[in-house]
Amino acid sequence: MAQVRLGNIVKHYGDSIAVDDVSLTVEDGEFVALVGPSGCGKTTTLNLVAGLLELTGGTIHIGDRQVNELDPKDRDIAMVFQNYALYPNKTVYANLAFPLQMRKTAKADIDRKVRAAAASLDITHLLQRRPRELSGGQQQRVALGRALVRDPKVFLMDEPLSNLDAKLRVQMRAELKRFHQDLKATIIYVTHDQLEAVTMADRMAVMNHGVLQQYDTPEVVFNAPLNLFVAGFVGSPAMNLFPAEVADGGASLLGPEGWRLTLSERNAARARRATGGVILGARHSMIGLHGEPATDRIPGRVYTVEPTGDITFVHVRIAAANVIASVGPDIRLRADDAVWLSFDQNKLHLFDVASGQALRD
Amino acid sequence: MKEHGFWRLGGKLYLAALVVFTMLPMVWMVITSLKTQFAALQYPPEWIPRNPTLDQYWLLLSPANAVGREFLRYLFNSVWVSAASTVLGVAVAVPAAYAFSRFRFPGRNLLFYSVLLRNMFPAVVFLMPLFIMMRWLGLVNTQASLILTYLTFGLPLSIWLLKGFYDNIPVQLEQAARIDGASRFQAFLLIVMPLSAPGITATAIYSFIMAWNEYVYALTFLNDKDRLTLPVGLQRFFTEYATNWPGLMAASFIMSVPVVALFLVLQKYFVRALTDGAVKS
Repeated sequence: MAQVRLGNIVKHYGDSIAVDDVSLTVEDGEFVALVGPSGCGKTTTLNLVAGLLELTGGTIHIGDRQVNELDPKDRDIAMVFQNYALYPNKTVYANLAFPLQMRKTAKADIDRKVRAAAASLDITHLLQRRPRELSGGQQQRVALGRALVRDPKVFLMDEPLSNLDAKLRVQMRAELKRFHQDLKATIIYVTHDQLEAVTMADRMAVMNHGVLQQYDTPEVVFNAPLNLFVAGFVGSPAMNLFPAEVADGGASLLGPEGWRLTLSERNAARARRATGGVILGARHSMIGLHGEPATDRIPGRVYTVEPTGDITFVHVRIAAANVIASVGPDIRLRADDAVWLSFDQNKLHLFDVASGQALRD
Repeated sequence: MKEHGFWRLGGKLYLAALVVFTMLPMVWMVITSLKTQFAALQYPPEWIPRNPTLDQYWLLLSPANAVGREFLRYLFNSVWVSAASTVLGVAVAVPAAYAFSRFRFPGRNLLFYSVLLRNMFPAVVFLMPLFIMMRWLGLVNTQASLILTYLTFGLPLSIWLLKGFYDNIPVQLEQAARIDGASRFQAFLLIVMPLSAPGITATAIYSFIMAWNEYVYALTFLNDKDRLTLPVGLQRFFTEYATNWPGLMAASFIMSVPVVALFLVLQKYFVRALTDGAVKS
């Protein structure tokens, strides 16, 4: 296993910029998720690490070696593809053996390693089958087997779970995470599903329009998003964001709907840093719903209620703005009920309207 | 239900009529080839030869006599010209189709459609220009002129068919192979080639049959008796001597054997080649 270092990597396709000056280091044995909406450059970044695409600029190191000019075969990496890319005319055994044959491993060693990999993934009984005779989950395991049979320095995974049905995906998510823990493997994992990134990765790199937005542990990314994009992308349902004006020299916020919110001292200090208006961010769990008005409660009206069993999401309209809050399952609310929202000041996020950046202490 | 049955019956009768229409000449060819010369000219014709004989086949296929030597020479020439243009055709079409399918390069679309340009004109239109070109190249009256010409006829369809095949092979398979330790060429050879084998087989057989049957160019480009291919050879062969109908029919039958045999192999792949390229699964 090895560290992977991306230094200011750039990839252009003609005039369009797919990856724009991304720098990040994946530590030895770390599980890093590249996450972002489609077209954000995450798969391009992965293909650049794999050597399937040529860099326009910057450097990539795997271990101590700069691999910019190396062919994929010489980078000592393994990759799991979204569509698995199993060789359709080869048996599962031959699929697993292929990377070893290509590296001129002795026949006895190949057999031993293939069987060991198959055993660890519980696919020994499938070795003589062909890929088309396997279910999606089985194909997924074979793809994983082909990656790990060679003991590569880095595993690259391109949306490996997105072709599975929801139930299997949850199961494979756990298996992949266990796989990482057991092997202490360095893994770079591309996904558009922020939940996969949050649940599996040691660190996550959020990308948008080819630019790295934030690179940190899921906990930090979730609790302290650096900008509006990350705030809106990570977490489900998405963070509530609503614009407000700074009033009373920073002591309170004034909403376009006419509400007023007094800020805590810490938040007031942040608000004063804003160059113009601010955007208030609050996750559903940080919003309280009340039946009576009080100071610093914002009036709204229930739009709709979504019970999910253990938690109930309440969509509240404040004038034209939609806010999603959550309550316990035993609280009964109905559409068009009048409610008043309060905020946990310690968990409130403030962003500068002009720059989109979080206002920090 | 009744109507359904009526249409079914009507359809079957129609198909039967078509089969008779297409098969009858061939059946007649085989029957005649088994007759004696005298019986072949009788009127009313003998539908079933009274004294069937394989004499004509022995004559044609035996190197012991002049006729047989000549026929076998033409047969060999045809095999050589068809095989050479097929092998060269595949050797050009495979990398060309692969490049059209996988790489983006300037002029790619223009080139790809210009490949079809040749097929927009009847082959005869090119007869004189090609003849003149062959004369410049000093290739008139050589089999190389035919091989080159057949190559240009077979390539457009071969490239189009094969490109359809390659388009349907996910690029991730090659990427996986390259990451697994294969060079770009090895990925093509070990992973893509076996998957495109049906397409290659289909296009190869198609090119072979086309070259095998071609008449006009062979007639124009070749003079030397020793270099003629079967279609032209047959015609000369039997106008030179007295018209030996059973002999001509036997020769035609021998000539059609490879075509029929190849087509039996072809049809499975050919349909796959056409539909694989057309429909994304």
